[in-house]
Amino acid sequence: MRLPPKQGEWIDRNHPLRFRFEGRDYDGCAGDTIASALAANGVKVLGRSFKYHRPRGLMSVANHDVNAVMQWGGMPNVRADATPLVAGMDLTAVNTFGGVDKDKARILGWFSRFLPVGFYYKAFHSKRLFPLWEKMFRMTTGLGKVDFATPHLRTPKRYGFCDVLVIGAGTSGLSAALAAAEQGADVAIVDENAKPGGSTHGASELVARVVAHPRVRVITDTYAAGYYTDHWVPLIERGRMTKMRARAVVVASGGYEQPAVFRNNDLPGIMLASGAQRLIRRWSVKPAQRIVLLAANADAYLAAEDFLAAGIEIAAVVDLRDVVPEAQKSALAARRIPVHAGDCILEAIPTADGNSVASVRTKSGEITCDGVFVSVGWAPAAPLLYQAGTKMRYDDSVHQFVPEKLPDGAFACGRVNGIHTARSLDGERAGSAAAAHCGFGVDRAIFVPAETESPTHPWPIVAHPQGKNFLDFDEDLQVADLENAIQEGFDNIELMKRYSTVGMGPSQGKHSNMNALRVLARCTGSTPGEVGTTTARPFFHPVPMSHLAGRGFAPERRTPMHARHEAAGAVWMSAGVWQRPEYYAVSGQSRLDCIRGEADAVRNGVGLIDVGTLGKLEIRGPQAAEFLERVYISKYAGLKVGMTRYAVMCDESGVVIDDGVVARLAEDHFYFTTTTSGAALIYRELSRWNTIWKLDCGIVNLTGAMAAMNLAGPKAKAVLAGLTDVDLSLPYLAVREGMVCGVSARLMRVGFVGEWGVEIHVPFEHGAAVWDALMAAGKSAGIRPFGVEAQRLLRLEKGHIIIGQDTDGLTTPGEAALDWAVKLDKPFFVGQRSLQAIARKPRRQQLVGFMLPAEHTAEAPKECHLVIEDGEIAGRVTSIAWSPSLSRYIGLAYVRSDMATADRKFHIRLTGGTLVAARVAKTPFYDPENLRQKESA
Amino acid sequence: MSVQFQDLSTTPRAGVKGPGAAEWLKQLGLPVPDVPNTWLPLGGALGGGLIARLGNTEFLVEGPESVKLAAPISHGVYPVLRQDTALVLKGARLNDLLLETCSVNFLAINRTTRPALLTSIVGVGVTAIPDGDELRLWCDSTYGEWFLDTLRTIAAELA
Repeated sequence: MRLPPKQGEWIDRNHPLRFRFEGRDYDGCAGDTIASALAANGVKVLGRSFKYHRPRGLMSVANHDVNAVMQWGGMPNVRADATPLVAGMDLTAVNTFGGVDKDKARILGWFSRFLPVGFYYKAFHSKRLFPLWEKMFRMTTGLGKVDFATPHLRTPKRYGFCDVLVIGAGTSGLSAALAAAEQGADVAIVDENAKPGGSTHGASELVARVVAHPRVRVITDTYAAGYYTDHWVPLIERGRMTKMRARAVVVASGGYEQPAVFRNNDLPGIMLASGAQRLIRRWSVKPAQRIVLLAANADAYLAAEDFLAAGIEIAAVVDLRDVVPEAQKSALAARRIPVHAGDCILEAIPTADGNSVASVRTKSGEITCDGVFVSVGWAPAAPLLYQAGTKMRYDDSVHQFVPEKLPDGAFACGRVNGIHTARSLDGERAGSAAAAHCGFGVDRAIFVPAETESPTHPWPIVAHPQGKNFLDFDEDLQVADLENAIQEGFDNIELMKRYSTVGMGPSQGKHSNMNALRVLARCTGSTPGEVGTTTARPFFHPVPMSHLAGRGFAPERRTPMHARHEAAGAVWMSAGVWQRPEYYAVSGQSRLDCIRGEADAVRNGVGLIDVGTLGKLEIRGPQAAEFLERVYISKYAGLKVGMTRYAVMCDESGVVIDDGVVARLAEDHFYFTTTTSGAALIYRELSRWNTIWKLDCGIVNLTGAMAAMNLAGPKAKAVLAGLTDVDLSLPYLAVREGMVCGVSARLMRVGFVGEWGVEIHVPFEHGAAVWDALMAAGKSAGIRPFGVEAQRLLRLEKGHIIIGQDTDGLTTPGEAALDWAVKLDKPFFVGQRSLQAIARKPRRQQLVGFMLPAEHTAEAPKECHLVIEDGEIAGRVTSIAWSPSLSRYIGLAYVRSDMATADRKFHIRLTGGTLVAARVAKTPFYDPENLRQKESA
Repeated sequence: MSVQFQDLSTTPRAGVKGPGAAEWLKQLGLPVPDVPNTWLPLGGALGGGLIARLGNTEFLVEGPESVKLAAPISHGVYPVLRQDTALVLKGARLNDLLLETCSVNFLAINRTTRPALLTSIVGVGVTAIPDGDELRLWCDSTYGEWFLDTLRTIAAELA
């Protein structure tokens, strides 16, 4: 029920919000969370447990209540205890069969004795039955339902900067932020709650001072999800992720109040005292009428004041400690509230419908109640400290892990630092030290008194022969489950975690890890410090997929002719970071017809292809030729000025990594191309070699600065003739510099597609104009732009390889039929020693041309289909296409070396298993004498 | 839009690199920044152009003075054809735009030292010069169209 209005409450009673849960309408207020609104309406059962489908309610109200997870339309796993209420919400509990009230799967609870720890390892190892089990588990487990039609939210990501980042805006964090800002640091303080203040719930003078400070940015409703090198912390806001780079970080993340373990400790109505306080203070909700307070520290008695002020009757305080300090219990004694020291709750008794607690049985007897609030201790919220590289130790004086050695620039304060009382002072100390670390002021080295009493009980666990004393509320693990796991040999914290799944649920062990390691320590005769903790990895709290898959950048490169291609109907394909025309669509024609039409234009008329994506490098200097001698497998020192030569590059293991054409423009000046995908890598690699070798030459990367196009076909020369001052009787493989369409250009006579062709390279800014001029000049000759697919077909007819398609990460030049290019007699080139060693060994495989029978009309093999010989894999197809020029399928394939003989027959296996006959064929398939491309008249 | 974009791609510019580049530029009468990754204005204000030292031995000259780089090169000097997309960005949300697209904290940069940064924005390698409340950017023109589209889209969201 809702309490009377009070100052500082987080709700706006003037803005009611109507919503629906499990088919029933409820009213809440602006400022409510889903859970607080339901609690205000008296709804106790908010979900069902993961395994046994037991009714569950609120526990922490701190964004860790994994049994209060809901489906909101297409959005699964909405955390009710932290998600703001929105008008019109229609919510259902996840993981139920028939609704939260009448969940049919609750019957699983009756079979719990047949579902022991690790039961799936023991029961479901039969391969034959696995599909059955898989189907059953996929149906019965899991949380929310994913709607695959959900639109992809491009959640923005952002960088942030500050001197000191404070994580946690509780008392210690606020004090740290203030101290750091006072010393001159630019401070950002972040908190997952809607308002700063931590356990003060926003209503303190400290909050007001921090919010008003000009050097402090208060970031609420945001959590720090991880801690990366150099104090890089991702901050998860509702609508974006900020990657915060801080010079120092103060972790003031506080602690997770821990549950006590006793039979039926999961009944709705049993919750952490701090959770009940949140409901009362923030949302003015009275979570119960009559409670039993299970205590073991001073915090419980402070909380009791809140409960009494809210009109909650405290039937009794059951304190696990043998002696309760007089100062803590005196106020309760004055109200005649019994305090049972040295007692415990043996079990909770459910109501008849099982949906709430009705009473508790203690050593002293049974006590009627409708709520049990638990305050028996804390676990440090230390995952970020672990991720930062902090060395932690178990401190027996506070029964928790505390930082022993923090990394440079990381600081901790408050509960996470083992300081529960003097939190403000500890925050001031850490804030001062962090600011000083960044060069602001001096570290004030404030003394902080240690705790005089442990705020945490070392063993808040009560055994019960009938079990149901839950230790992990995510995974429905009971104490006996862990004891059995340890008995079965999983007696290491990491092994126990994986075998039992403790700590592997959505809350990631925030309420179970400490108690689990206590059980392990007791069973193995160790101390908690010796047992240690599991590895804390980012993200320590779930991050929405919309953030992880948020806006990313995948840059695209476009040549200056991009708009021309678009206008000509280009169908685009990605080539690394480039967008290239795969082919140009023609109305009424199929893709294949378009490609073959473009190829036909090149073979019989003239075609133009944009090759500006090729890497384009320039090298100048007296030792430029020497440099090329060292990086390519062929010779270039003797290359005549005005000529080009094919160039293959290997890495140091002798593997082919790139190819291109080297053109000599002057004795000390070369211009050369690389593959499209290799351009950046090759430039970087060549720059590295040049730095090492210190030759007298320099390399310039012109890839983006130069446009390039290849004009090819028997009518190409006539098209170009009227546009250039270059004498086009230049021989095959010549290079010339001259004017094309009034623009300085480099012309390289090439033959990649097997016809008379010339690559025209011009500055980027003139690319489109030259393209337009060539297309206009070629109009009467029927010029067609051709795309990557037509070029692939044309070069295949010539048997020219494509690096990366016809080679892989292990291919040597010899295997790729490039022996002719390897000049092992050179003094040195990269990969030479490896190739000399390889040359002494038998060759494994050989790239060969092949043909299918001319009459083959059935399904043809595809690239990567396997060559089969005597039932064994003997190679693979790298390229294949139907050749319009030869009217049959042709291709390239790797085969065993002994099979690489002319007319050798072999088989290729299709995807379905059918074998297709092929035979080795000499390349080039088309114009074997290369007369067409060499023609110079 | 709270971020304004000005395209200066057609402004003349030229580049040069090599161990002899600094000395050669001095011989051409150009001021040479002493420190790598800094720049100097040419002819007083930026309207007269600038010279930026992009590394130990690489330079960018933009503006009317860039024609001087057409002079015959000498030993250890290698011309660099500059065909950049060049932009000037300014506006009230410029820093927000940069925070969403670049990992450099531009607010923390001391502009009096005239820094020329080589970094990446929206994943594209850029040369960036913060000057007053403006940011000058140069990137490879093959990225230019996508670069500008992407920045404009994010700027529109911010507006």
